Amino acid sequence: MSASTKRNRRNFLKKTAAAGGVFLFDIVPARVVGQQGQPAPSDTINFGHIGIGGRGRGFLRPEANLGKQVPASTNLGGDGSRMLRPARSMALCDVDSGRLDQAASLVGGRPKLYKDFRRLLEDKDVDAVYIASPDHWHALQTILACQAGKDVYVEKPACNTIEEGRAMVAATERYGRVVQVGSQGRSQTAAWHANNYIKAGRLGRVRKVTCWHYASPDGDWTPDAEPPPGLDYDMWVGPARWLPYNVKHTHGAFRWLIDFGGGQIRDRGAHVMSIANWIMDSDNPGPVSIKATGEPPHDGMYNSAVTMEVTYEFKNPDWTLVWAQPGIPSATLDARYGAVYWGDSGNISVTLGDGAGTSTDQKARDFAAQCDCGKAFRSPGHSENFEDCIRSREKPIMHMEAAHRVASLCVIGNVGFQLQRPLEWDAVNERFRNDEEANRLLSRPGRGPWHL
Amino acid sequence: MDTQTFLTSIQSSDADKRFAAWREAGSVSPSLIPQLGKLAGSADPGQSKAAIEALTTMTHSVGKDPKSANRAAVTQGLLDLNSAAFALPVRIHALRLTSNIAGEDAVPAVAKEIGNPDLGEEVVYCLERIPGNASIQALMNAYKDAAEDFKPRILAALGHRRAAAAVALCTDAMRSANKEIAIAGAKAFARIGSKPAAPPSFPPEAGLSDWQKMERMDSMLRYAEAQAKAGNAADAMAIYKVALEQAQEHVQCAAIIGIGKLATAEAAGLLLPKLKSPIRNVRITAQKTWKGIASA
Repeated sequence: MSASTKRNRRNFLKKTAAAGGVFLFDIVPARVVGQQGQPAPSDTINFGHIGIGGRGRGFLRPEANLGKQVPASTNLGGDGSRMLRPARSMALCDVDSGRLDQAASLVGGRPKLYKDFRRLLEDKDVDAVYIASPDHWHALQTILACQAGKDVYVEKPACNTIEEGRAMVAATERYGRVVQVGSQGRSQTAAWHANNYIKAGRLGRVRKVTCWHYASPDGDWTPDAEPPPGLDYDMWVGPARWLPYNVKHTHGAFRWLIDFGGGQIRDRGAHVMSIANWIMDSDNPGPVSIKATGEPPHDGMYNSAVTMEVTYEFKNPDWTLVWAQPGIPSATLDARYGAVYWGDSGNISVTLGDGAGTSTDQKARDFAAQCDCGKAFRSPGHSENFEDCIRSREKPIMHMEAAHRVASLCVIGNVGFQLQRPLEWDAVNERFRNDEEANRLLSRPGRGPWHL
Repeated sequence: MDTQTFLTSIQSSDADKRFAAWREAGSVSPSLIPQLGKLAGSADPGQSKAAIEALTTMTHSVGKDPKSANRAAVTQGLLDLNSAAFALPVRIHALRLTSNIAGEDAVPAVAKEIGNPDLGEEVVYCLERIPGNASIQALMNAYKDAAEDFKPRILAALGHRRAAAAVALCTDAMRSANKEIAIAGAKAFARIGSKPAAPPSFPPEAGLSDWQKMERMDSMLRYAEAQAKAGNAADAMAIYKVALEQAQEHVQCAAIIGIGKLATAEAAGLLLPKLKSPIRNVRITAQKTWKGIASA
């Protein structure tokens, strides 16, 4: 069925339903508009994908799976019992044509291919988008997607500056869009167990959460070069400050530059500290002070922290959050990163929070099995929760305000690290107290045509 | 660390020694900035990095307090790096550091290179970050003589700065026959959000691309939002009524959300038919907004 035929049928049904005073989505059973054994077009979500390299591929929906019962990936949380909603990856976009071709092969069928995400956002057949571009693009692409009427799943961290995050919240609210940010730990079972265990008071009062994470790479000196054919490098840089092309700072390696990625604290911090904020009910407003120490690479082309320790103090209730790389790992669980929750009467660990899954101590898992005391919302899985919310128009579990607040921890931690001095944070007004330079670093002018 | 030891260490072949030196750069004299600028342009990447990081550390050391003793000297040192005697990447880095600490008195020296095709973008970036009216005035002055394809960049900077003084310039840009400038004017105008003396006239839709039409509508909605916040409900409502009649569901949703915030009897009347909209998102948004008004 061609796209135009499909649209015409949709329009006809909508008009007919409206003329009769009824609502298509409310009463027309899927079988009426779907072919035998196929999901109804009205039930199928048409996804566009912006950024389809490493992470972005994980969101693709192969055309061959449409109409089949396919379990949702536990990579994104949930307990594996949910089947994927009918959905189609109908439009793909990447600035690297090699990646675009690979993704098109993975999806199969005949997805529409774009190198400029604006053309994908203009596509009226696209209902919602997955954004898995490098971090420095997350904010602007999310805002523009909202302006274009798309619901959005955007990878973490939500933003690279405080101003970006606030603008994302504003765009989400202005257009009434559903925006889920990819800190999927909140949708993972072990984090939910830990959350209920702590909220049930089993640790007494929790006064400290200490995160650990291995140190970042030092980097090397790889010469700048001409961008490879097929890569639109100017578009890749987008709103960030211009830097000559280098194979060691594009694609997955962008993380080790502050301007593009911001290091481990913005990458894994947006997972581990997302769970911490959730468990500690601290999504809003945030800490009152930050003290950051540590070292950047002594040599090589990167500038994000190799080692760092950032201490955030929260008030009312008072508690302390520490992001440390390398930090002190859990004594009970073997994992490369995670957090220990220290209560008056014990502690538990929660590891990872990303695509590698989450684990927590046995006592929290046993507690969840024994009692019917789930106080926290249990997400069916991060994508599934997003897709449920596309229907219900409710806020997803990692909604934009929460994601902005988590990303804020990462951003202000990095500002403290860059400036190497303690900072006082006014989380309500999202400004530092008595530090003019630090405040200038809370926003970043755009570049060329790319502005918030 | 004394000056000679510092400079020797910055040029050391030992990365750890270079690191130890650049970390101490906040305590060395700003008079070393020209030498650091030369080293920053070195072909030896380790030396160049150490010098760049030393300049950065020196900048951060005076960044907290505008009245700190060495701030003027560091700023002047950075401004002096922006000359043909230094390599282009060094000049760019100096402008980016200048944007962290410079005050209004630095604006003329920064602005003089705005017409330089290699530096114009970085100069606007720097001016955009320097607080006060002088940088806004410099951007507005530069706009007059800027090339057509650079005017949207300057308008974006003025919009980002929420420069109320630039409202007339933006409304003038909205009337430009050049659609890029007209839309950039609308975007800046909406972000500033100040009400002009005469009712604003957004660029006509005719001749705009689909993307530009979307940006036009977004600008109108942002302007309406700003008017609602400023207490100019009638101005906001006029735009929301237009948006409510658009075919796109998300524009209708935006209008419903905006109207809901006005929470007037007229607003309720406009929302009522949307409670039965055949478009699911519109209907749910209207129902939620209605509940919000009812519970307020």
